[in-house]
Amino acid sequence: MTRHTRILMSVIYWAFIVYLFVPLILMVMMGFKDSKFIGFPIRGWTLEWYSGIFQDAEVLSVFAYSMTIAIASTALSLAIGTWVACFLGPNRFRGKLIVFALTCLPAVIPGIISAISLRIYARALDIEPGMLAIILGHTVHNVPFVALVVMARLATLPPSHIEAARDLGADSIVAFFRVTLPYLIPALVGAGIFCMLLSFDDFVRSFFLGSYEPTLPVLIFAMLRSGMSPEINAISAVVLVLTAVLGLWAERSMRRLNRGS
Amino acid sequence: MTEAAAKTDVTAGETIVHLERITKRFGAVTAIDDLDMRIRAGEFITFLGPSGCGKSTTLRILGGFETPDEGRVVIDGEDVTARPPNRRDVNMVFQDYALFPHMSVARNIAFGLELKGRSKAEIARQTDALLDFLQLSGLKDRMPDQLSGGQRQRVALARALAPDPKLLLLDEPLGALDAKLRGQVQVELKQIQKRTGKTFFFVTHDQEEALTMSDRIVVMNNGRVEQDGTPEELYFHPQSRFVAEFIGETNLIEGIARGGDNGSLVIDWNGVDLHGTVQGPMPESGASVTAALRLESVVCHAAKPANGHALAGRVVSRIFKGSRTTLDIRIGEDDGAVVRAYMDAGEAEAIAQDQLWVSWDSSRLSVLRD
Repeated sequence: MTRHTRILMSVIYWAFIVYLFVPLILMVMMGFKDSKFIGFPIRGWTLEWYSGIFQDAEVLSVFAYSMTIAIASTALSLAIGTWVACFLGPNRFRGKLIVFALTCLPAVIPGIISAISLRIYARALDIEPGMLAIILGHTVHNVPFVALVVMARLATLPPSHIEAARDLGADSIVAFFRVTLPYLIPALVGAGIFCMLLSFDDFVRSFFLGSYEPTLPVLIFAMLRSGMSPEINAISAVVLVLTAVLGLWAERSMRRLNRGS
Repeated sequence: MTEAAAKTDVTAGETIVHLERITKRFGAVTAIDDLDMRIRAGEFITFLGPSGCGKSTTLRILGGFETPDEGRVVIDGEDVTARPPNRRDVNMVFQDYALFPHMSVARNIAFGLELKGRSKAEIARQTDALLDFLQLSGLKDRMPDQLSGGQRQRVALARALAPDPKLLLLDEPLGALDAKLRGQVQVELKQIQKRTGKTFFFVTHDQEEALTMSDRIVVMNNGRVEQDGTPEELYFHPQSRFVAEFIGETNLIEGIARGGDNGSLVIDWNGVDLHGTVQGPMPESGASVTAALRLESVVCHAAKPANGHALAGRVVSRIFKGSRTTLDIRIGEDDGAVVRAYMDAGEAEAIAQDQLWVSWDSSRLSVLRD
């Protein structure tokens, strides 16, 4: 590569980074604007919007609601996804590929279609719209991600580890909990955080499966319809920081755990 | 440990394991073909053979990881054929050691004891005793990835010894070590086996390992036992061509049987009469036979020895190997057979000329079965 192309490449790269981050920076910035409307020019600055959301009971309860859904659906996804991975991973049987494809399907179906079908299905099962329906909906969507990540990790577990556990007196269940599961921890941490982010971020499924009580993205959407206020920016900025921190921490701890084994 | 040693000492020599007419097939391949074998308590028995000979399958059947298609596995009087690995008094040292990566050395060793439901105090006491016994005390709290290959091997051994098994299985546990360490570990393993008095079932494809450590070697080939005996028997009196060629370097002498008695056979080898020893039935006169002769059993003389029992030969190649020299000697005329001999490098140098005489003790010329 010549010097000129190298400079050109890095200029393009940085232009892309700027393009990527300008909206985010603008969003965070608008949260500090001392005015009821979003947009330039900014004449004064305030912390009111940020301090306001931490005192707003509605925002806080919606945040807690979203977190509850995220945690519950993640726990369910991890349990089911791990089970699917352990079932599909080492066993060879006819139609394995078809079962595997079916397992992955919920991850690739367009959100709106899956949301509508889940809504119809929930009604058929007599599940009221609300928290349970959203949790189950998110779980259906997240299981494939868990299964894929866990299967990849499981493939690197030497079969001799399980055999050693069996040899030393463990039945298959004890061997799973004492040897296989600890080995899967890095994958489970990574998949779990990914599920949390997916669930917390989800709008379409939460919108279709929810009742009058909104999740955070649904609340933001509702607020947008009643006018663009810097409060929305403040909420979004907080969510942005939280998810970024969580994501980075997950990435870091996963790398450390992977090195450990 | 000492209690265990005392217990097995009393019963030493008795059959602890009986593999009763075991057959195991994988699809069209017969991995083990009608194997009937008794293992005596306290012995170091090695199954030796090339890959695919059935030695590892035998080990896995003993461990409970494979079920034989035919036959029974009896351990200490109990039929364990259908029992899973966790319900057998047998433990295994795996080829890759299979140490649990998320547990410390001490936790790895304690694993089997915990599952046996021993008390905390007893687990701690036994773990410490084993750590001490295998010189691992300083490494108690290390994780497996912080250990060297040799240390891992010892931890794997300690972990398998901890539940006090009736039989210890070792699946090529030295394969991952470098050559220098391997020699040292061979001696260590043998000492550990002697001190614990445990029955060791060792599997390897390395004949040197087998010869160094074993009380008894079973050579397997294509799922069948080729020969079963002490290292010395196998080395000096191989019964088949396979064993003769698999263990050490050997001269194969092909000739015609000319009758004999008392386990001694006269072989017509290109017109020269040789005396060989026969174990088992005497071959018929006129049958073609093969006999094995170890390289170091061939003695070279610079001049014709006084008793006259020597064959004249000519050196066709001379390879210096440091501690010894390998000589290829053509016996008789230009079209004569070649015998290979090991010689002390200094002595070989003393015989500068190409003409020499070779002889050997006739008990060293072992007539093969096939």
